[in-house]
Amino acid sequence: MTRNDATGQEATLAPDVPVTTPSNVDELAEILAAASREETPLGIWGSGSHRQIGHLPSVQRVVSTAGLTGIVDWQPDDLTVVVRAGTPVAELEAELAAGGQSAVLPEQSGAATVGGVVATGISALARLRYGPTRDRMLQVQAVTGDGRIVQGGGRVVKNVSGYDLPRLYTGSLGSLGVITEVCFKLWPVPPAACTVEVDDVPPAGLVYRPRAVLQTQDGVRVLLSGTRAEIDDQASRLGGTVVEGLQYPEPLEGEVVWSVRVPPKRLAEAVDRLPHGSAFVAQHGVGEVSFAAPGSFDIMDLRTWAESEGGSVVKMAGESSQDPWGSPPPDLDLQRRVIAAFDPCRILEPGRLPGGL
Amino acid sequence: MGHLDDLQALLGPDRVTVDRFALHLYSKDAGASVGAADVVVFPDTAAEVAGVVRIAAQHGIPIVPRGAGTGLAAGAVPDTGGIVVSTKRMDQIHEVDPDNQTAWVGPGVINLDLSVATSRYGLHFAPDPSSQAVCTIGGNVANNSGGPHCLAEGSTVAHILAVETVLADGQVITFGSAAPDPIGLDLRGVIVGSEGTLGIVTKALVRLMPNPPAVRTMLLAFPTVDAAAATVSDVIAAGVVPAALEMMDQRMAIAVENWLHAGLPTDAAALLLAEVVGEEAAVDSEAAVIQRVGEECGASSIRLAATEEERAVLWKGRKSAFGAVAQAAPDYYLHDTVVPRTRLVETLAEIYAIADRYDLVMMNVFHAGDGNLHPLIAFDASDPDEASRVHRAAEEMVKACVTRGGVLSGEHGIGLEKRDLMPLMFSAVDLDAQARLRESFDPAGVFNPTKVLPLGSRCFDLGSRPVPDGAWV
Repeated sequence: MTRNDATGQEATLAPDVPVTTPSNVDELAEILAAASREETPLGIWGSGSHRQIGHLPSVQRVVSTAGLTGIVDWQPDDLTVVVRAGTPVAELEAELAAGGQSAVLPEQSGAATVGGVVATGISALARLRYGPTRDRMLQVQAVTGDGRIVQGGGRVVKNVSGYDLPRLYTGSLGSLGVITEVCFKLWPVPPAACTVEVDDVPPAGLVYRPRAVLQTQDGVRVLLSGTRAEIDDQASRLGGTVVEGLQYPEPLEGEVVWSVRVPPKRLAEAVDRLPHGSAFVAQHGVGEVSFAAPGSFDIMDLRTWAESEGGSVVKMAGESSQDPWGSPPPDLDLQRRVIAAFDPCRILEPGRLPGGL
Repeated sequence: MGHLDDLQALLGPDRVTVDRFALHLYSKDAGASVGAADVVVFPDTAAEVAGVVRIAAQHGIPIVPRGAGTGLAAGAVPDTGGIVVSTKRMDQIHEVDPDNQTAWVGPGVINLDLSVATSRYGLHFAPDPSSQAVCTIGGNVANNSGGPHCLAEGSTVAHILAVETVLADGQVITFGSAAPDPIGLDLRGVIVGSEGTLGIVTKALVRLMPNPPAVRTMLLAFPTVDAAAATVSDVIAAGVVPAALEMMDQRMAIAVENWLHAGLPTDAAALLLAEVVGEEAAVDSEAAVIQRVGEECGASSIRLAATEEERAVLWKGRKSAFGAVAQAAPDYYLHDTVVPRTRLVETLAEIYAIADRYDLVMMNVFHAGDGNLHPLIAFDASDPDEASRVHRAAEEMVKACVTRGGVLSGEHGIGLEKRDLMPLMFSAVDLDAQARLRESFDPAGVFNPTKVLPLGSRCFDLGSRPVPDGAWV
């Protein structure tokens, strides 16, 4: 697996590639402009924790965001925070938690940075209640492939001024530029939380909008948060064993971690179709199940089924000779033109996206 | 053949109109701008919309998509003529999927009709603009509409999972899916809120939300606007994000009360309408927090709606406010800007001062919880001096918000109304990036070409490379 190292020097994907760490946005803009002139393909490095998502681009140099860190502006009463892209998510969340707030970013983010989570579009398990990461995005600042410093969105919780660049950048995997700064919408941390272990996935509506309904090879757990009275009441309706606090399943370990994404009502079937005995985490109500598999596991049947349901099977970690994305989306030509608008020389993580864009 | 012949060959004579009265109706929206439609068409299917787009491209005529025409920013106004494409016949709810909590709907479906149709499954469509009884889902998608309940649930974009869209070359592509996180760029997210400039949405997959088991709605009255605004900030600071948190000033309360007799206290300087939703066990304690904060901020009265009827009356008072203004003057100009909610008090004071300076009658009813202001100026458009003062005051109000860290529009859109104010928020490089994005969708500028971005936004044309702040030579 890739080492979570902000310097990137021991990254297994780019062992001998030189790393540049700009200390401010202007410096980054100069680096990218020069790389575009010289048509030098660049990798973008946060912590490397999501490096194995997508095709492996061939790059001559890596730009690290390790020099762009820290909270720029936190307005607790406005429920907004502006943070630089190289800041580790865990560090941001720890700081916010001290003020009773959260950006509801991935709970088990390891060394992942804000920029990495946004660029890969990874969401918290609590997305069932709070929505995916992209719905937290209020403003983005990025440097385009040709060195333009571009900002979109605004630092308020509601805004329709101009095109929604913050959401467009979410999940763009570097293709639209190096994300340098993000403004997130925040949520207050509820006063109480617990985890209820139950035998089966509870019927929809038994409890109103839980944080997460997670199924693993060991059983089902419902993560609840709210007022004390509220979660006690919900827990008693669910039955089962109550454990204080939010108990997350162990992160998946295996040669390859795949994520199956299907319409929520197909999730139970997706779980049934997983290779026998695999470790998995299924997010009910969301429609995603991640599972660990040996490198030799052939993803084809599962992928064909998921795609026939309008979904996908995507590689999240590990190395595999199989296509990390599957069938490309129907709007590939348009995606290519959109990317060209932001990275005209196509130097940033070229080929990493579906369809080799 | 001319474009009219082509359109009639495609749609038949009944769904292509150049009738003078129809052209007049389709030449404006609910705001002040008036355009001049050349022809209005009423396609039934995506294939027909695609045909219309091809005809427009062939003849070099702009296309202006239109839902119910309730917009206020002139997004649906054909200011340079062209073909107005009405989505009103594409009004089918194609499929409700209660297990996925989604529905595929045509763009012409009325917002409220969708929630009514899904209520038997205990589900609703969360975005609820005040115009929800007439506005369409297509219009909501185009403007990324909000409404009181987007404080907790987010604007329309958080509730649109996929859009079937006709692109500038006539291709019909579905962006997004019922499965989470479709692979590749999230173009769905940028089509929502693009105000008809990137394509025409012919079908949308909407996310439906479960109806909450319990609701508490309360009305708080305050002796000063400042006290009401302080309550808004303090409630959020206390860790409660209400489902809705709406403010109404005294002038607006009087106008509404004269009209609706909803029992609003008209002697208070400001009213707050607060709603919390959730489990029965949660709503009482959250309502108690709001009550305590309100009292601490000096509320003169607090009333909890005891019945569903009482709640409905309170909401009717809020959502009908704009109708009530007709008593004050023949026309009104409704503004839409956002400030960080911590700057509400000072911004409101500044906005009242601007209205006084221009000798205008202004009232306020707005989404206080997310800092989304709606100053409403009542005036007589037949008085050119007054109309000019309204526009100058409106521009000053926008500037007052943007200089306090706010934005041009929270939910109405940019359209023509605020197009030329975009440089207040965005640099030339930012606007150029948005223009490039738009060009990648619509290189020939077929869709609503004059809207959203100021002319000349694509400022780095002719092959010259951009030079931001001397980043390189």
